[in-house]
Amino acid sequence: MTQKTSDKSRRNFLKSFGVTVGAAGVVSSFSLLSAAKAAAKEPGETVNLLTADGQLVQVDKNQLRPTVNEPLDELQQRGREGIAGKSFVMVIDLSKCRNARKCMSACQNHHQLRADQHHINVLQMQDADHTAPYFMPKPCQHCDNPPCTKVCPVDATFKRQDGIVLIDNERCIGCRFCIAACPYSARIFQWTEPKDAEKYKDLTYNIEANVPQKKGTVSKCLFSADRLREDKLPSCVSACPNGVYYFGDRNEDAVTNGTSGETVRFSKLIEENAGYTLMEELGTKPRVYYLPPKNRAFEFNGDLLNEENLH
Amino acid sequence: MKNLSTILATLVLVFAFMNSASAEDWKVSATAKKKLNPYELSKKNISTGKKVYQTNCKSCHGDPTKANMLPLVPAPADLGSQNFLVQSDGEIYHKVKVGKGAMPTFEKTLNDESKWMVIAYLRSFDKNKKKAVVTKAVVNPEVSDVKIELDIDSEHKKLKAHLTGLKKDGKRAGLEGIELSFLIKRAFGQLDISGEEAYTDAKGELLIQFPTDLPGDREGQVDLTIKITDEDEYGVIEEKRVLSIAVPTNPKNPLDERAMWGTRANAPIWIIASYLLGVIGIWSVIFLVLFQVFQLSKMRTKS
Repeated sequence: MTQKTSDKSRRNFLKSFGVTVGAAGVVSSFSLLSAAKAAAKEPGETVNLLTADGQLVQVDKNQLRPTVNEPLDELQQRGREGIAGKSFVMVIDLSKCRNARKCMSACQNHHQLRADQHHINVLQMQDADHTAPYFMPKPCQHCDNPPCTKVCPVDATFKRQDGIVLIDNERCIGCRFCIAACPYSARIFQWTEPKDAEKYKDLTYNIEANVPQKKGTVSKCLFSADRLREDKLPSCVSACPNGVYYFGDRNEDAVTNGTSGETVRFSKLIEENAGYTLMEELGTKPRVYYLPPKNRAFEFNGDLLNEENLH
Repeated sequence: MKNLSTILATLVLVFAFMNSASAEDWKVSATAKKKLNPYELSKKNISTGKKVYQTNCKSCHGDPTKANMLPLVPAPADLGSQNFLVQSDGEIYHKVKVGKGAMPTFEKTLNDESKWMVIAYLRSFDKNKKKAVVTKAVVNPEVSDVKIELDIDSEHKKLKAHLTGLKKDGKRAGLEGIELSFLIKRAFGQLDISGEEAYTDAKGELLIQFPTDLPGDREGQVDLTIKITDEDEYGVIEEKRVLSIAVPTNPKNPLDERAMWGTRANAPIWIIASYLLGVIGIWSVIFLVLFQVFQLSKMRTKS
């Protein structure tokens, strides 16, 4: 008898459950329909996106949201403090650079810069009349004795505990003292409305990527500080196709090549290849080290516009 | 739709033909062709060649014999196919050295030894020359449950790995001639400390000197992973350990010191002091002057 009732109640339960689920299904399909109608009403611009499994899908632009979720205060605070226990350094092997310029475009994508604005720039160098020319990528040197932070009247540009020199565009008043102070010309000024200003106007400002860029403020290379937080190499380092860049932590005495993924001892790399820093006579103590353009893997005829040099 | 596929097929055929035509164009002089690989087809050389191949060639050519190369036009050759391997050592060497079109030159990027090692590795896929490979190879018994055990000599900073497998009769046997990688975790990658000749001996043992000057964390700890370098034979076999034999390092925080480049909070005391003295000095002079002027006017009213 008891079994029978329990059976009945279970059936009742299943019945009511089925009704609820069915109703929910109907409601949700209605809501889906209405959502679809709403979407159909305002056919916005669509963009092509590549999903994680390699499918190309078209998505309405209005449905896209920027990925930064943290509130401004938190971003500002952690951006000022830096990553504890790290001391980031970069090594640039000039013998490998053949002016592919992938570092520059990756950087401009990441930091929402126009094609004529450079956080990192590949320069064509010739030291004297009869010396061999070479290509030299030049990011911010993230000096350990930075002249730029000394002159900032509003504490907008600063050095963090992991050695990276950043600029806070929320504080920057656009006086450009730091641009004048920097011997490496590593800083740029946003004279006009930045690229895609309208598109990113609702994005929370991220001090570790200088995005969105602000008109009337200074911007500079940040060693992709937001990527370092996720244990990723900087954009330029991972974009290089020729194995030019090494990046790592000096405290660990190891740097990793962005192209091959090979990790080597920092001290050995510098010692064996006679690494040097730029304008060390100024006492700026740069964190970007260069390996001389010796034993180059390609011909360089000194012509920047020559097709052969643009690989 | 059918039309489209026909057009595509024709295009593919045309490109394939162009490719073969350009391959024929790639002329190598008779003297270059005669060059022979000075390195023997030993297991060690082949595995070295495989490493070089994987970092320098695989991205375009894919795995030998697997035909998973990049879809470029002209398509990169499958370097493990017999069609490719009919060429002499010297011919392949020349092509690697000089390059052509999308195939870059490796004249300076790879040293001679590495180039020949790659050729040795490719030759190991050559059905006509396979005998040469077997002569030097070590034959290990068929085993299951392959394990790496580790002994640590903290005093001399030496690591001894013991690679064993379970034989069919239930006994553990050491595996000989297998290359092991000793990897130390760093911020953006793994630092290989195994050195040049990291092959197990007849007992399946391998002794490695841990670098005496490698920094660890505050307690001198590092994360070590030991694994069989070539994953083809036994699958992924690895052993992870936390070692306390690295040099303890206290990360220096540059913000602990007051410096000229510091922000307001980190400015040197003498700057703050001289600034404050300057401000106070100037304002006191101004106040003094104002006070005297006030006194003057007071004197006038008195008189």
